[in-house]
Amino acid sequence: MVEQITMAFINGILLGGVLALLAFGLNLIFGVVKIIHMAYGQFVMLGFYLIYSFHATMGVPLPAAMALGVLSMAILGIFTQLLLIRPLLKAPRLNQLLALASLIIVVENVAMMIWGADYRGIPLALPIIQVGEVFIRSSYLMAFVGAIVVLGLLYVFLNRTYLGLAIRAVAQDLEMAQGMGINPATVYYVTLAAGGALTGIVAAFFVPIYTVHPHFGSSFTIMAFVIVVLGGMGNLLGGFISAFIIGVATSITAVVYSTEVADILALVVFVLVMLIRPQGLLGVRA
Amino acid sequence: MTATKLTLSGLVLAGILLLPLFFSSQYVIHMVTLMLLWSFVATAWALMARFGIVSLGHGVFLGMGAYIPALLFNFYGLSPWIGMLIGIVAAAVLAVILGYPCFRFKVIGDYFALVTLAVAEVGSLVIVALRDQTGGSLGLTINNSTRPFLDFQFSDKRVYYYLATAFLLLGLYIWRRIDKSKVRLALTAIGESELAASSLGVNVINYKLLVTVISAMLTSMGGVLYAQYVTYINPETVSGVGVSLSVCFKAILGGMFDILGPFVGTSIMVLLEEYIRISLGSKYVGLSEVIFGLALLLLIIFLPKGIVGSITALIQKGYQVERGSK
Repeated sequence: MVEQITMAFINGILLGGVLALLAFGLNLIFGVVKIIHMAYGQFVMLGFYLIYSFHATMGVPLPAAMALGVLSMAILGIFTQLLLIRPLLKAPRLNQLLALASLIIVVENVAMMIWGADYRGIPLALPIIQVGEVFIRSSYLMAFVGAIVVLGLLYVFLNRTYLGLAIRAVAQDLEMAQGMGINPATVYYVTLAAGGALTGIVAAFFVPIYTVHPHFGSSFTIMAFVIVVLGGMGNLLGGFISAFIIGVATSITAVVYSTEVADILALVVFVLVMLIRPQGLLGVRA
Repeated sequence: MTATKLTLSGLVLAGILLLPLFFSSQYVIHMVTLMLLWSFVATAWALMARFGIVSLGHGVFLGMGAYIPALLFNFYGLSPWIGMLIGIVAAAVLAVILGYPCFRFKVIGDYFALVTLAVAEVGSLVIVALRDQTGGSLGLTINNSTRPFLDFQFSDKRVYYYLATAFLLLGLYIWRRIDKSKVRLALTAIGESELAASSLGVNVINYKLLVTVISAMLTSMGGVLYAQYVTYINPETVSGVGVSLSVCFKAILGGMFDILGPFVGTSIMVLLEEYIRISLGSKYVGLSEVIFGLALLLLIIFLPKGIVGSITALIQKGYQVERGSK
């Protein structure tokens, strides 16, 4: 049991890296566009399917298929902004929420139409690393390292480039940013493209770990929400830390009890944080 | 205008009441029963949503209504009539447990919506986790009873039809009662500004709880009727995020601020779903839902007031223009 829990702990940390990346995209969109992207996990699912199709159906080599998948998701992000979010920017918050919720229905069923209800996956024989009594799957390790690298690049992008600083400026104070000559429309497109590309990247990291089916995305949407809320909405550092907390907590609970109990635990944390500490773990009470 | 509306509603009601006498087709009766039943649930949802307390988790109340009487009957032989009361009380208790802290800590608007969404997901996860009792995602079939009437089982499907009509009328009656009482005034004021309302002495928490509890109780009644009518339930059809969202979509389509909006929206939606399912469903699995989702998207973007709301606004506008020209 002790080894199992140790392993669950390590897997939780490793998966936490990918979850951090997942939550980062949702958080970024929320912070900048002030919209809750309800169909975020479903976009990951779509990215997974695209990579699968590029590789398994069209015969593109896997790394190129992943790159194509990321690119397609970025383009899809731009289209989401153009066709869906832009017309709703001035709409009541609830209409935005419901519109993106109906996007869930569309995306899941488009996947159902194209790929059917079967589980699809790309079989990869990746080695398992043994450290003493503990086994680590190299697919998890690669996903973790990759996610950390991408997060590092995003950090540099947001802090060292003009566009990144413009994104942060819009997130902090839209009117002031406009006063400084930043065009929010461009920033929104870039944000949605980056958010879309992130769903593609997360999907690429998931390829060696999971198989995909049309309802694959919903649990990741919820997971991303829980992480974002726990860390404080729009707070990128908070999201990073809480991804590991949630990753470890759910991973250990899943081993000790069951995956449903793990999911229930995550959701209960979500509700409690919303009630008691809506600003999140690291937030400052306004 | 109200006279026209009243006549129209009277005609629709008469049509609904007389329909089973003229149509013996099981299929027509079944479709209208579903229409009435979901209209009732959508009305129950809109009862609170129209005051800005938008729940995306009504599936949890629906699920309690469906599962509690069904489980009590299957395991202990307890009549679903009594089970229904237990289910309604349980839904009311959950509504208070959930609603009180939310309203106390001022979780409003889309934050409230997200909390309720999470609760709906917890509800269906609990049903799946208790798979030894509930059958998990495979669902639960309600046992056949030897005492049909006492155990809420009727061989004549028209009984469910009239029950659904009665439930819907009850929902509409409660809507009217709220409209005519000071509860509506208080809740409208709260919807405009909680701070202003509370500084004028309106007890924000109590009024919000009242309407939430009523809505939850009615929704669980809808769950009971659905389960007893269909006799098979699973977490996807009576709890969880999917059904919760579909209930709000139905109400919003018709217009959640108008008493007949949820009914109109649900009728259109149920018929549309069935039509698309029959004409396209077998060829392309999922296509009907895609069209459905896209229709919803367009509707939310272009007709945010819903069908009844938009028509009413249009008529009022025409009315004003007419009067202005005189």
